[in-house]
Amino acid sequence: MIQMKDISKTYENGTIALERVNVEIGKGEFVFIVGASGAGKSTFIRLLFREVLPSSGELIVNGHDVVNMDNSEVPYLRRGLGVVFQDYRLLPDKTVAENVAFAMQVIEAPRRRMQHSVNAVLDIVGLRDKYKNFPSQLSGGEQQRVAIARAIVNNPALVIADEPTGNLDPETSWEIMDIFKRINASGTTIVMATHDKHIVDTMRKRVIAIEGGKIVRDEAQGVYGYEN
Amino acid sequence: MKISTLEYVIREVFFSLRRNSWMAVASVSTVAVSLFILGMFMILVMNMNRMAESLESQVEISVYLKDEVSESSIEDIRGMLESMQGIDKVTFVDKAEAMSRFEERLGEQKFLLEAIGDTNPLPNSFEVKVKHPDMVKAAADEIAKIKGVESAKYGQDVVQHMFDITRLIRIFGFALMILLGGATLFIISNTIRLTVFARRKEIAIMKYVGATDWFIRWPFLLEGIVLGCFGGVFAAFALRLAYGIVTNKIYETLAFFPLIPMFPFIGYVGIGIMICGMAIGAIGSTISLKRFLKA
Repeated sequence: MIQMKDISKTYENGTIALERVNVEIGKGEFVFIVGASGAGKSTFIRLLFREVLPSSGELIVNGHDVVNMDNSEVPYLRRGLGVVFQDYRLLPDKTVAENVAFAMQVIEAPRRRMQHSVNAVLDIVGLRDKYKNFPSQLSGGEQQRVAIARAIVNNPALVIADEPTGNLDPETSWEIMDIFKRINASGTTIVMATHDKHIVDTMRKRVIAIEGGKIVRDEAQGVYGYEN
Repeated sequence: MKISTLEYVIREVFFSLRRNSWMAVASVSTVAVSLFILGMFMILVMNMNRMAESLESQVEISVYLKDEVSESSIEDIRGMLESMQGIDKVTFVDKAEAMSRFEERLGEQKFLLEAIGDTNPLPNSFEVKVKHPDMVKAAADEIAKIKGVESAKYGQDVVQHMFDITRLIRIFGFALMILLGGATLFIISNTIRLTVFARRKEIAIMKYVGATDWFIRWPFLLEGIVLGCFGGVFAAFALRLAYGIVTNKIYETLAFFPLIPMFPFIGYVGIGIMICGMAIGAIGSTISLKRFLKA
């Protein structure tokens, strides 16, 4: 699903975010990316959906050559991915259903499929009954569930999540993780950057630890390994 | 484009205009004012052109014949003039008619002619019209060489002066049109920039979920075109009113002033202004979006 070969990223101001990173993530894996703030986690995540380009190295994501692709191909890379952010990034003037359908609308999906898929993913995240609500009428956890529904509505092979529980209380965080577990169980690869020690230590999934732009640890059933 | 996408684009434009209605009103008004001024200058330049053409087309060559030229030679000269390239019309004016025209022109001062008694010092002449004003000088030079022709005059200085003024007006008008076009472009692109800025999060989300640049661009492009079009429509109506008032005022005092008649001229100008507004709107949106669409 993801092949990173000697990936380095140096920003224009000279900051080295990643240095010769080599990682392979297979189909259906659940991977936590951990590390202190500024370690390079976010850059790692942003490279996957080509929000930033590496300075050197090779990167294949879901069959797309991310480094050498033309700008016009980027939308097609992203259609195969679902991205979830810490701050949800929902459209405030659209309802729950509209926010989710939006992801299908922009890729010009057939309308009859849209209604069916939106209902199906709202069932998965448990928000079917709130489809008419606006984001401002929802709690943080509910908003994040809408964001997850939006990320998975196009059946992506890979879901990338950047601190999805960062703004949530422990109980709600577990609800969110439960949804991610179910998505993963259906065969979708999940790559998640997180600071949540408790979640990482409890779930015992693959853990990739980044420090100073380098991978310092890659364990199949790892733990967080840092003190919060 | 799919029908559902077209619906989406139209809905987005409608919502955006409604959401930023005051912004839309302000930008339509400014665009209308700019296009109105632009249109006024277009009308002015076109009328100036017409006036210059009309004056140019009235330029005649007066071909004065020597007194000793016989009647048969006059006919020969007429034949030669008529066979020359670029000549439109040749009219013979004999001494007597020249004198009666002169008398007419003197009007109340006709008594001055008493001083010369019965003699008629005016020569026989031809009035020669050329097909294109640019040909006047060459034709006059050619005619002057014909045997029996005393001189061929066409008011060189006046014609040259007129050409210079017309050219100046055309250049000035063109420069002004470019300047006003640029200002209108700036206004529209700024309005769209505000809309784009207000919706930058939405644009970012669209990009994350895999929207193509064209999918993102369409609603803004159409919004720009709609703003430009509305501005153009108001400007066109205002121009129609203004041109009606101005032509009436001018015709009241100068009945034969060579203005371009209102119809269908003002219709063409209106359509031109609307197309201009729409094109400026489209270009303005494209400029505003460029920065936000970088992958």
